[in-house]
Amino acid sequence: MVSKAPHVNGDAAALKKRKREPKDDAPLSLKKLRSKAKPKQQHANSDESPAGADNPDVKIAGGAVEVPDVPGSASAPDTSSSLQPIPEAGRDAPAPWKVSNPMGGRMLDLDPIFSPDEAHLIITYNTSLQVYSTADSLLVRRIPIPVSRPESGIELASAHIVSTVLSRGSLEYVWVACSDGRIWHINWITGAGADTPFTIEAKKVLDMTVESVEFGHATEDVLLVLQKLTKASGQIVAYDTNALSTKNGKLLHTYDDSPQLLRSSAGGRLIVAAAKESIHIGLLKTRNKPLERLDDLEYRFHSFGATDIITCLDIRTTFRTTNKGGSEIQSVDLVVGCARGAIYLYDDILAKLPSGSSISKASPIQPRKYHWHRRAVHSVKWSEDGNYLISGGYETVLVLWQLDTGKRDYLPHLSAAIENIVVSPRGSSYAVHLDDNSTMVLSTAEMKPTTYVSGIQSLVLGDRPSKESLVRRVWKTVDEISTPLVTASSPLHPSQIFLSVGNGQQATLGGGGPSTPLLQAFDMSSFQGVAKHAIARTNPTDANITSQGLPIIEPRVTKLAFSQDGKWLASVDEWQPPDRGVEPFLTGSKTPGDVCQERREIFLKFWEVGGEENSLELVTRINEAHYTNQPETIFDLVSDPTSSRFATLGNDGVVRFWTSRLRRRDGLATTGPDGQQLRSWACSRAVSLPAYGQQDDTAEHSSQVPRSGALAFSEDGSILFAAFGAASEAVVVAIDTSTGSFRDVVSGMFKGEVRGIKALSSCLIMLSDEVTVYDIVSDELQYSFGLKETSQAAKRLTQLAVNYKSRSFALVAPVPNPSQEKMRRGAKSELVVFSIDGPEPRLVRTFPQVITAVFPATGSTGFVVVDSAAQIWSVTEGAEQAPLLQPLADLGMADGEEAAPQDLVQDDGEASDEEMQDMDVDMDVDMDDDYETHQAVIAPQRLAEIFNTAPAFAMPPIEDIFYQVAGLFSTKPLKA
Amino acid sequence: MAAQVVPLAQLKLPLGPSPVTAEQRYWKSFKNQKSHTSTASWPISHISFPSASGATTSNSLVAAVKANDLFAVTSGPRVEIFSIRKREPLKTIGRFDSEAHCGEIRADGRVLVAGEDSGKMQVFDVGGGTRAVILKTWHLHKQPVWVTKWSPTDLTVLMSASDDKTVRLWDLPSNNPSRMFTGHSDYVRCGAFMPGGNSNILVSGSYDETVRIWDARAPGGSVLTFKHADPVEAVLPLASGTTLLAATGNAISVLDLVAAKPLRLITNHQKTVTSLALASNGRRVVSGSLDGHVKVFETAGWNVVSGSKYPSPILSLSVIPTGATQEDRHLAVGLQSGVLSLRTRLSGAVADKARARAAEEAARDIGPEALEKLDLQKAKRKRKALTNKSMAMLGENVDVIIPTEATNATGGRKRRIKLKPWQRDFREGRYGAALDEVIDMSGPEYQPVTALTVLVALRHRSALREALEGRDEVTVLPLIKWVGKYMSDPRYVSVCVDVAFHLLDIYSEYVGGSADLAEQFQMLWGKVSKEVEKAQMAIITTGMVDSLMIGGIWDQ
Repeated sequence: MVSKAPHVNGDAAALKKRKREPKDDAPLSLKKLRSKAKPKQQHANSDESPAGADNPDVKIAGGAVEVPDVPGSASAPDTSSSLQPIPEAGRDAPAPWKVSNPMGGRMLDLDPIFSPDEAHLIITYNTSLQVYSTADSLLVRRIPIPVSRPESGIELASAHIVSTVLSRGSLEYVWVACSDGRIWHINWITGAGADTPFTIEAKKVLDMTVESVEFGHATEDVLLVLQKLTKASGQIVAYDTNALSTKNGKLLHTYDDSPQLLRSSAGGRLIVAAAKESIHIGLLKTRNKPLERLDDLEYRFHSFGATDIITCLDIRTTFRTTNKGGSEIQSVDLVVGCARGAIYLYDDILAKLPSGSSISKASPIQPRKYHWHRRAVHSVKWSEDGNYLISGGYETVLVLWQLDTGKRDYLPHLSAAIENIVVSPRGSSYAVHLDDNSTMVLSTAEMKPTTYVSGIQSLVLGDRPSKESLVRRVWKTVDEISTPLVTASSPLHPSQIFLSVGNGQQATLGGGGPSTPLLQAFDMSSFQGVAKHAIARTNPTDANITSQGLPIIEPRVTKLAFSQDGKWLASVDEWQPPDRGVEPFLTGSKTPGDVCQERREIFLKFWEVGGEENSLELVTRINEAHYTNQPETIFDLVSDPTSSRFATLGNDGVVRFWTSRLRRRDGLATTGPDGQQLRSWACSRAVSLPAYGQQDDTAEHSSQVPRSGALAFSEDGSILFAAFGAASEAVVVAIDTSTGSFRDVVSGMFKGEVRGIKALSSCLIMLSDEVTVYDIVSDELQYSFGLKETSQAAKRLTQLAVNYKSRSFALVAPVPNPSQEKMRRGAKSELVVFSIDGPEPRLVRTFPQVITAVFPATGSTGFVVVDSAAQIWSVTEGAEQAPLLQPLADLGMADGEEAAPQDLVQDDGEASDEEMQDMDVDMDVDMDDDYETHQAVIAPQRLAEIFNTAPAFAMPPIEDIFYQVAGLFSTKPLKA
Repeated sequence: MAAQVVPLAQLKLPLGPSPVTAEQRYWKSFKNQKSHTSTASWPISHISFPSASGATTSNSLVAAVKANDLFAVTSGPRVEIFSIRKREPLKTIGRFDSEAHCGEIRADGRVLVAGEDSGKMQVFDVGGGTRAVILKTWHLHKQPVWVTKWSPTDLTVLMSASDDKTVRLWDLPSNNPSRMFTGHSDYVRCGAFMPGGNSNILVSGSYDETVRIWDARAPGGSVLTFKHADPVEAVLPLASGTTLLAATGNAISVLDLVAAKPLRLITNHQKTVTSLALASNGRRVVSGSLDGHVKVFETAGWNVVSGSKYPSPILSLSVIPTGATQEDRHLAVGLQSGVLSLRTRLSGAVADKARARAAEEAARDIGPEALEKLDLQKAKRKRKALTNKSMAMLGENVDVIIPTEATNATGGRKRRIKLKPWQRDFREGRYGAALDEVIDMSGPEYQPVTALTVLVALRHRSALREALEGRDEVTVLPLIKWVGKYMSDPRYVSVCVDVAFHLLDIYSEYVGGSADLAEQFQMLWGKVSKEVEKAQMAIITTGMVDSLMIGGIWDQ
């Protein structure tokens, strides 16, 4: 394979010779063979592997990638929670690489919590609690919660947060319960308490509520925890702080139904527990003397059957003053949402309960029924005054039921299915959590959003089953990640990333791959979704299921690329009909798969990116860019780094170059409505790749062989490298982009399918089942190493990214859970960063989730990683700051936790604003006067931009720097 | 927050080989053809309207041109004066001894000049009275006078060109020409003043196959001569004054006067090009030819942007503008058969008025109810306009005026898009009904692409079968007919195949019981066999061409 032939210019004879060389000349490929063979021998004893600089055989233990033995890296992959960077990867590494703390995450299907003054909104994410300011939608604090414990085995990998409840006694605390029995008591104003959970003995915690109960003269938080005993029985246990530390709760009730939900009300006087198809209501037994201890809590339970599977419930209690001056429950109204779409309302439930015997299923209580939802009711809540019910579900419609008249009001066509609804303490607004990882606060009067928080809307591996799946459905839920997340970054907006996302997690369910017709522009520095564009067909306002109840499949965006100037976006989307109901088309020997393939729609679209607001305008749509007798898959879409040009490679073995030109009609340049010149995109050159390795086969046969391919432009845009071919037979062709002629052909570099190819200076980095770095100029294999044998699903998620600024590349490979083939929950990923200079990895890290995307950070030397928990990690080199948002509170703190205790004094919800003033303590600002003004929020990389522009001796005058910094801090804060 | 309900977007099909362009639409919008046959079917030899150009033109003259309502049509021994507004002849000047040529109205619309075969040139008063008074007669040309043109800048200056090979420049009061240009060696059949300057520079084209530029200030012969291969039938200077078009034989040559070289030869016509005219404020050139075609050229690359065919050879044409903006109003074409064809394009308020009149006529045809409804609508619109007007009158005392209708951010009226019946059916999941509505080929709004849009959308929603199921003989037959009709269109074939497969799958068992159904399926089978035959032919042809190509490679 290491050919000595000089460059050839498309000469067919020379090409053939080169191609055959690896086959004929066995010794030349020895180097490579060695690299394949050795790891197998050395698999058991990793420490013996010599880490010589000239040795291309590299490996590490435990990871998916076999990389050279590095001090410290052998233990690193398993200790995923340690956020320490790998110390000094290479001996001569100038600056160590490090991984930032993750940001973002996926909002859990739990009610968001309003702070009592409605100034803050606490949202539970899968790995953190995040506190947002409702006034400006800004992230105030992110409290990471170590949900997945590093020491835990695989069976505990599914630990997840089941409940987050605001403490009743001290309002700056929340209680967070995890399914494995850990309970955190976290001060959400300071973030303290996340490291010291209480642990209770429970097989599985299902739900938790908190009530403040008066013991003697002191009120104390009592946690009511619903625990699972067996599959079909549960118990309710009460704990107070004391009981939590001693792990001895007071068992209140045990029942033999599959338990699901637990709600309580009225200072612990009422508990409602929902089992699958029955409701248990517990009333605190009245005693003559006041409660003294936890053990005094005793409840009388009634249970009655419900007609359907319960998905959500809400209680409304009204009190009346007793003649002694205390208050007692006057009436309790219970509303229950069910999995088949009905809402049942139990009026004044206490009056209807049989007074005597405790458990009687004999006398069913007749509820009032409200049925509008087609599918499960995801959330139903009482309005503050009790006149309305607010409900929402898969239909993306917020329904307001006026109980007196039976009239319904709708807020239709929200962007995704409604997951949770919370009425604010004052009743003036609703917080609505949508399935697309966003939460908004709507004012009740105008139904206009006042706060909007949205995270990355990529697909995640869910922690617990959706409420939809309580009933058997014709579709199945997403339980694996099968394709990498398609991303692009625009040179115009270095802080933004563009992701192809679906209409929320649940809309992506259904046959085939996930549908991702939307493009989300996400700003990493403000950590907010900026915009969402439909770049393929969507039907936001039509019914989103077919008459058989199947979700309607929308196209999937498979490739995205921005042009070098950021003014154009090219996208590829694919749609193929589901393979159900294709029987009428089956003629001859066609399989349903063939039939669907024939009916595939593959579009290449070119979009013009509009000015500030990031608008996208479709300029050209190419229906079948690559076509044989049916539309062919487009393997890769790349953008020329030097001009506005794109190149695509399809399964038909043709590389097409796409350029824009003035749109002409009869020789006249057509103009838009404002007189601007219109451009359109067209194929400027098509280059057929030679079908090497298949000359012996007949043409019919070769079309059946699955092929793969990838493209990469050289850094100066003069050469396009196209890798294409059947598995293990793919060759790399260097195409002169100005003439379309072949400049060089390299074969035998791929083992298995082509996963990616990148060009970095004179080197080609090729990813298949192994990673190969090949110097194209000196025609020399630099180094290569194999990836571990994994499943097909895992291979699909191996990815490669190159950062030209730091001359490094990052390789990402999933580490599947050993017990399963697919990339389900519990799978991890490994990231290895290499420098182009040598085979020693600069960084090896195992991530606790599957990495779905890795790409170079625009304008920086690092990489950005997106994982299957919708978190973003920044991998940076040396002292460079991660281009990620820091929560406002973190910005104010000098050095992590040491600064935290001082912040405890803030008590009135304005903490965020004031804490930030720590940043400029020297200024000695009188805080009280500045109550209404926001301090400037400065992302640290902005400062880095000022200070890292040049080495110290070449810095601009100190006065200039001063004004730059002052300018940064005096700019107005972002308005929500 | 909530997304707005929008109707199903129409499918965008790939453009066919010759899509209708905006330019074509523009020239198609010249309609309401009015034909006017000249007395004794004399061929229409010249059409002209007064125009003024040049920097030195006085404002009053420009205003006079804009207010002008007359154009002159020369046919046989008559010059007819037409009204632009009414498209009707106002008066006829018949005081010619022989065939008249080149009746031209002066820019101020008062007088008209025309030459005739006898060599006479006469100036008529067209202002008042039905009979035109002869104001002036010259009889110095000894041969027929083919060109008489007023200077665009100077009211008293005119030019003439004659078969006696001379071009002359005249001053209205004097009896002798102020300048006589000689140099042509054959009949001079066309000529014009060059725009700009002080009507000093003239251009003429002759049967000696030359175009000559004359300068009144320079003594002697022509200052510039362009030699062509055919007699020159028409010359047309562009408004820039540096480019000149000359119709020679089948071709139109584009001449650059500054560089003194031909720029281009336009050879789109099949027969002799007889006339050239400017349109769209000088941005387009219209040519007419003996082949009966009118072609419209753009003036940058000289591509044909539109064209139309007339039943008889075209001798003269003109695009007559009106109004303050001088936008194109009539396309007047004079034919050999003696027919003057006037096609009119309405725009702005005029078009609105025409539309209102058409609506009223349509309502009258339907019946009194429709008329009443129309009146109600009109009254409502009027009331609203009045209210808004009266609000505006109050403007002096109030700070903010709130119009009666809410406007959205862009200023336009916020209106919910009204869905058509099939769109509503489709949105609400009545797919069968929606499909029935769009494939009704006799319906007033039938468009094949709408039907295709619905079918493709049904496929996207996996609801195609649902829409086709459960039909009876009456409702299934139109579907089969539709499929049969569009089966051969490559843009429709994919969907047609799917529909046909489903129809066969669902309804083939009923073929025995229904003769109609059997017949339609038979028809479909016939169409498909024909398509298969065509495809086979195409494959055979491809094979033959391929073998030829390979042969060619071997030869090399």
